[in-house]
Amino acid sequence: MTGSPIPAVAGRSDTAAPAPRHPVALDRVAAGISLTALVVVAIVALGNSGISITSFFDSQDNAARFFHRVGALTFPDLPETVHLVGLTVGLVLTGTLLAAVLSVPVAYLAASNTTPGPGWRAVGRFISVMTRAVPDVVLAMVFALIFSLGTLPGICAIGIHSVGMISKLFADAIEQIDEGPRRAIRAVGGSTVQQFVSGILPQVLPSWVATVLHRNDINLRGSVVLGYVGVAGLGLAMSQSFQELAYGEGLGYAVIIFALCVVMEIVSSTVRSSMLGIVPTRRTMGDWVVRTVIRGRAAATTSTTTVPSRSAELATALRRPWTRERIRNTVWLWLAVVIAIGGVLVCDIQWGDILTVWAHIPETAAKFWPPSWGAYDAGIIFGAVGQTIAIALSATLLSLVLSLVIGSLAARNVAPSPVVRHTFRFVLLIIRGIPELILAILLIIISGLGPQAGIIALAFGGIGLLGKLIADSLEEVNPGPERALRATGASRWQVFSSATVPQGAPAMIGHSLYLLDTNLRAATILGIVGGGGVGYYLLNASQASVYQLVTSITLLTLVTVVVVEALAVWIRRVFR
Amino acid sequence: MTNPPVSANPATPRHPIVEISGLNKDFGQVVALRDVTLSVKPGEIVVLLGLSGSGKSTLLRHVDGLDTPTGGSVRVLGREVSTLRGRQLRKLRQDIGFVFQQFELVPSLTVLENVLIGSLATLRGPRLGLWSYPRRLKLAALGHLDRVGLLERAYQRADTLSGGQQQRVAIARALMQNPKILLADEPVASLDPESSEQVMALIRDIALDEGLTVLCSLHQVDLALSWGDRVVGLRHGELVLDTPTEGLTKAEVMAIYGRVTTSTGALEVIERELLSTVSMA
Repeated sequence: MTGSPIPAVAGRSDTAAPAPRHPVALDRVAAGISLTALVVVAIVALGNSGISITSFFDSQDNAARFFHRVGALTFPDLPETVHLVGLTVGLVLTGTLLAAVLSVPVAYLAASNTTPGPGWRAVGRFISVMTRAVPDVVLAMVFALIFSLGTLPGICAIGIHSVGMISKLFADAIEQIDEGPRRAIRAVGGSTVQQFVSGILPQVLPSWVATVLHRNDINLRGSVVLGYVGVAGLGLAMSQSFQELAYGEGLGYAVIIFALCVVMEIVSSTVRSSMLGIVPTRRTMGDWVVRTVIRGRAAATTSTTTVPSRSAELATALRRPWTRERIRNTVWLWLAVVIAIGGVLVCDIQWGDILTVWAHIPETAAKFWPPSWGAYDAGIIFGAVGQTIAIALSATLLSLVLSLVIGSLAARNVAPSPVVRHTFRFVLLIIRGIPELILAILLIIISGLGPQAGIIALAFGGIGLLGKLIADSLEEVNPGPERALRATGASRWQVFSSATVPQGAPAMIGHSLYLLDTNLRAATILGIVGGGGVGYYLLNASQASVYQLVTSITLLTLVTVVVVEALAVWIRRVFR
Repeated sequence: MTNPPVSANPATPRHPIVEISGLNKDFGQVVALRDVTLSVKPGEIVVLLGLSGSGKSTLLRHVDGLDTPTGGSVRVLGREVSTLRGRQLRKLRQDIGFVFQQFELVPSLTVLENVLIGSLATLRGPRLGLWSYPRRLKLAALGHLDRVGLLERAYQRADTLSGGQQQRVAIARALMQNPKILLADEPVASLDPESSEQVMALIRDIALDEGLTVLCSLHQVDLALSWGDRVVGLRHGELVLDTPTEGLTKAEVMAIYGRVTTSTGALEVIERELLSTVSMA
């Protein structure tokens, strides 16, 4: 230790150099404190929420009574079912497509390597963050005022809210491209737009399509709540049934929505895998089905792609041969076009509204300004926002604790046996298949209004997501240290705690914060269906036409979501 | 430069097609090019020789207006490159083909569309998909693919081709521009010896047929001598060698090169290369 840069400290024994001090980075300390504070607040919030084993058993009586009242499930007749399913899917599809188109320019501005300048980049990111932060339900309320009744409010709400996520992921994809082809087009003399369309777009198209399909699944699940604020479709039919206390009918709709979500996931997973060559990673139940099917098929057919060698005649070479690949791509393309057109047609859009709507915007906007607290005391609204945050934190904490167990047991390198791993992977799969909003609605009906139902529903849904992400990130750790520890004779637990967890920890922190972020938005929306928090006041304000209160609640939510997101991004970056 | 010009057509001396004088380029603290002066006659095949980091790529990028000089002047086809903007700059680039070390094809597009990308500067607006290009350009592109021997691959995805094939597609893309000048930045550095030979021969054949002026950077001395009309050596951003290849031996080049490099005592790589070449000669 003669060459040690650390000088010997006076007053210490001189026989040994002092141990080198652990280097402390200030931002890591700050992030660590923030993270600890979040956990402490979450524990307190969970303690205050009143969730306990005893209250759970109390609600079991409620559940028994509820199912006694429901009687038998009743389904609407077939034409009605087909109509509602078509309408819901068409509306969600059209909204998602609108968002997909709008996202392209936003992502172009927001991506660091395509943006025309820092100012434009700020604009792009601002649009991305804001559209994500304003819940689609709020947008639907606003658009319902602007448009005459119809499907347009729902389409626009989905279309604008989804821009946030799609454009963010799209911008991320643009930033990760290989710059070479674009440089080549620049050297050829291509314009900026040509560089983007020919050099960048082909590279990001697969991830863009995958993102849009993924978002479409999310939007289908979210359309249930849109029904509560009057957007046509299955959600509206379900909310009306429950309002009329026709529980059997309402549950019938819930079952249909559940089935629809599963079918849609299978479809989108099929498209992703066969059109884009993305092998499903068991993210959803659909992926699971598709993977299983593909595996069976791959064994049956040996793929041989022989290239027909053509004569040197240029004119004949101009005719592109119909290879199997080209036929498949063409079929997919036209199928997508037909489905998109079908979706728009089903919505029966009042196209005239798009022209006349602009005149309504100023007067509608005036109704929302200035923000006010309506008939309430400001303290009540702030308290409700606090409750929403508490719900999100409690749910995230519950999810995290349970996901650590389930997710670890579902990881290949942690699970004691393949059987255990497959069992827990399957459990996660089932949990992800259940739309959490439907679960929340059921819990609310069963156990009564309040935050407990919201917390449990969110926590349950969160396990599906977080458990999978934790399992994946544990499986992705470098196996070297694990092997090294095992070679020293360490036990399974020691390997897990000293090699696997330390490597997976940054990813786990990141995923938990991502879940918190998601839960905060979901908790706001849950209030609308009766899950406690600020959503309740939001729905009230909208139904009572106190639009200025809608504005103030939306602004409060916006600030909260943006602050939490910024915090999460910062902590994630520090711990990466 | 005191060396006699060696061009494809030495009987009729013409105005230089590329004229670089006193070119300086800094990237922050790092000096990439220092006072480089170089003049290239139409039809000349010039090899830029030097190790990586010697400024070859930066010099080529200046000719195409992809970098802006810190000082000095770059005149290409009679135009001062640094004064050109927007449409005018794109027009200049249209006349200059550029072949990259990493080929830089769009991996998910077909080979044919990658060649067609070479014609983008002549077209208005963005293009995506073969249907968006006019038939006459598609015929021309197929012709160029035939020329580089890859006609039967026209409808394959570019990323299904081998490195040598991809570089030939990139040459076809450059031909699509009907260029007057061809710039090649280490075109064979990522290729195996056999495809390297093919690609270098192809570039030379095309250059002679079309009367192209070629500026090609390489780091292999023997290849440079057998391939180019003239060798220009760069070291640490400075021009240290400019001589016709005719009658020049490897040992002579390496001697010049080696003396320069060993005078700084820094570049063992060159010394080693020098020794091996001398022993071979």
